Amino acid sequence: MKKMVIGNQAIAYGALAAGIDVASGYPGTPSSEVLAEILAFSAKNEKAPYVEWSTNEKVGVEVAAAAAWAGKRALATMKMSGINVASDSVLSLAYSGTRGGFVIYIADDPGAEAGMPEQDSRVFAMWAGLPVLETTSPGQAYEMCQYAFELSEAIELPVILRSVTSVSHAQELLEADFAYHKLDREANFDRDIFRFTKAGAKICLDQHQALLDRMNKAEKLVHEKGMNRIGEGDGTLYAIGVGNVIPYIQETIKGVSGIVPVYMESSYPLDRDLIREVFKKAEQIVIFEELEPVAEMLIRSEANKLGFKGKIFGKIDESLPRVGKYSINEIKKGYALLKGESPEAPDKAGSISVKHPITFCTGCPHRGSYMAINRALKKTKLGKKETIVTGDIGCTILGMNPPFDSCWTEVSMGSSIGLAQGFALAGMKNPVVATIGDSTFFHAGIPPLVNAVQHRTDILLIILDNGWTSMTGFQVNPGTEVSFQQNEARRVSIDKIVQAIGVDAFDVIHPFEQDKAVEVISDFLMKKGVRVLVSREECALTKGRREPFEKTYDIDPDKCTFCRACLRETGCPALAVRPGKEKQRMWIDPELCVGCGLCETCCKFDAIHEKRS
Amino acid sequence: MLKSIFLTGLGGQGVVTFAKILGAYASELGNKVSTFNSKGMAQRGGRVTSEIRITDDPSLEFGSRLAHGGADVLIGLELGESANSYSFVKEGGLVLLLNYKYVPTPMVLKKEEYPEMDAILDMFKEKTDKTFGIKEGQTPHNIFVLGVFASLLDKFPDVLPSFSAKGLRESMEKNLKRNLEENKAVFKKGLEYTF
Repeated sequence: MKKMVIGNQAIAYGALAAGIDVASGYPGTPSSEVLAEILAFSAKNEKAPYVEWSTNEKVGVEVAAAAAWAGKRALATMKMSGINVASDSVLSLAYSGTRGGFVIYIADDPGAEAGMPEQDSRVFAMWAGLPVLETTSPGQAYEMCQYAFELSEAIELPVILRSVTSVSHAQELLEADFAYHKLDREANFDRDIFRFTKAGAKICLDQHQALLDRMNKAEKLVHEKGMNRIGEGDGTLYAIGVGNVIPYIQETIKGVSGIVPVYMESSYPLDRDLIREVFKKAEQIVIFEELEPVAEMLIRSEANKLGFKGKIFGKIDESLPRVGKYSINEIKKGYALLKGESPEAPDKAGSISVKHPITFCTGCPHRGSYMAINRALKKTKLGKKETIVTGDIGCTILGMNPPFDSCWTEVSMGSSIGLAQGFALAGMKNPVVATIGDSTFFHAGIPPLVNAVQHRTDILLIILDNGWTSMTGFQVNPGTEVSFQQNEARRVSIDKIVQAIGVDAFDVIHPFEQDKAVEVISDFLMKKGVRVLVSREECALTKGRREPFEKTYDIDPDKCTFCRACLRETGCPALAVRPGKEKQRMWIDPELCVGCGLCETCCKFDAIHEKRS
Repeated sequence: MLKSIFLTGLGGQGVVTFAKILGAYASELGNKVSTFNSKGMAQRGGRVTSEIRITDDPSLEFGSRLAHGGADVLIGLELGESANSYSFVKEGGLVLLLNYKYVPTPMVLKKEEYPEMDAILDMFKEKTDKTFGIKEGQTPHNIFVLGVFASLLDKFPDVLPSFSAKGLRESMEKNLKRNLEENKAVFKKGLEYTF
């Protein structure tokens, strides 16, 4: 069967072909579609693996790890930041190794297209001591995912399957059976504290040696598999491509004479036998890899050890960039370096450009929450410029942009709360506010809230609860309505958790009921202690997919004075300048308006009114 | 042959559907096709892009992303995003822009002037003569511009070898799920558009 799939879907089907029993993960671009596809598969097929969106990546890894210890094949998925969250466990799991195949899928984002640090997760693999298998296309990823499970079982060690946005979201025709090849295994696990615990120096040192032995075995097996290979060509000029840059070499090398391509589909541990082959004939080498010079450092190390006298071009000698993603242009530059030619000047941006800043979707409840916060800061005379509002990861961070200009900081999942505490006890004059989403609160917001209560720090936390993990594609989280949960999962109450922790004040507000919301936020701003508000209303997009919106709003051009207060306060995408050549007036696009009514609360001229459909 | 097409616009204009139709057609012609859609900010007022790469050589491996100066064809459904995509066009490539402006909030508030299509077309003419601007389109923007593009395929058969207006129309009809009659009519209007 042939189907158009993106890289992430191909990986999902690879895992199903490998017969996984458990799949876990936390949503994160560009990795989310892997678990989403397995979840969709399990909804339609009686025979399917167990699959869950875990509360965070650390829990997800632990769930998968234990299933693998019990002899089953397990997959844990995450974006690049997720490995940071899971790292404490992964470092320890590397020492213990695995029994059933355990693949950790990490999706990096060279070029930072998903708005997070373009960290190179392979550096973590070096830290942990885990092999990294790279992906280069959806078709190759489908095969590589299956091999990852085989390798993991052969060396009894978790294996990192690594992708980047350009592969995860590339769409190609894949030929496969798209079926689940369930393995017939019984769960079993024997007690062995020398392998599965860490308490004791000898235990740890023995495990460390075992890990190194496993990595040496991985290097040997990967070399024998032949995924790292020297391509066709003669001469002394070599171009080594690591991971997803390989197809850019493949598409350009035919037009270039005198350069021998080398393709490395695994980046760690270094395939030293292959590199020794390269050193035999090479006089000049260029190394292409995105982000950090991981393979490059190892290759230069090996060159040094073996006394290779040739020239190596890469990032360490500043020939090639370290920031951003690679394209054919970087490959062509590398060829020019090898040949001693001047590289082509890169194409420049045009002289005309227009910025379209991103903001909340039409009808987003977070718009109401940040509007209410700003109005409360004005009402209490505390002032927007003098009052720190810490932000967190997800759709809520869009409050940092105009016209709200609300969030001042964004660090990592759940950091808004701890940062708010730090600002408060540093002695900031004004009250400090933290904002966080519902999924993020479950992921990482509970420990810092406990911290604030225990240490009696004065902060106001506003949990913006839209009922879904939206930014990453509307996944469920523990707080999602029970009727939308999958596989009979239960709902966990944010309100009960917050109150159980023992905060000093708690209330629930509705972001579209501006007057009440502003009143309550103003009141809470002036209190002392740990105060928590939940601003609750469903995400407009998930709601809109189920039911039509009941009403829209309309602007009367006779009453509108074009003061633009509505746009200035809401920044709503549905607000535009009335089309046509008449006097300039504001206008609401009926195709976009979902009837939240926030614009109406801004108009002093009574020009905006509800229109029932 | 290895051809690269860069599509851009804002969320809601149908960029991804446009790419799907082109990709499906290219595939039906026996080509190997890769499509990369960047649509995360579609609902949030942000840019949407689709990068399509097509080859008639089934053994050719190629990367999914276009390089600057790598697009044989650039089609822009929103004027500002078209201008922002200037660096992707190849010298001598085909450029087709729709004169639709989404004026961002800061521009409305500061009463700034949005660049005019003629100025943007002049900028693209520095790289290629094959620059076309659609003064006024119809909704759905993607289907209308698809029709205009189809007419250019017949006019410039070297741009995407073996692509034809007729073939593209047939493929569109096969791949659209909703509002087929309305879309057929809008496509026809696009096909008949004179510059």
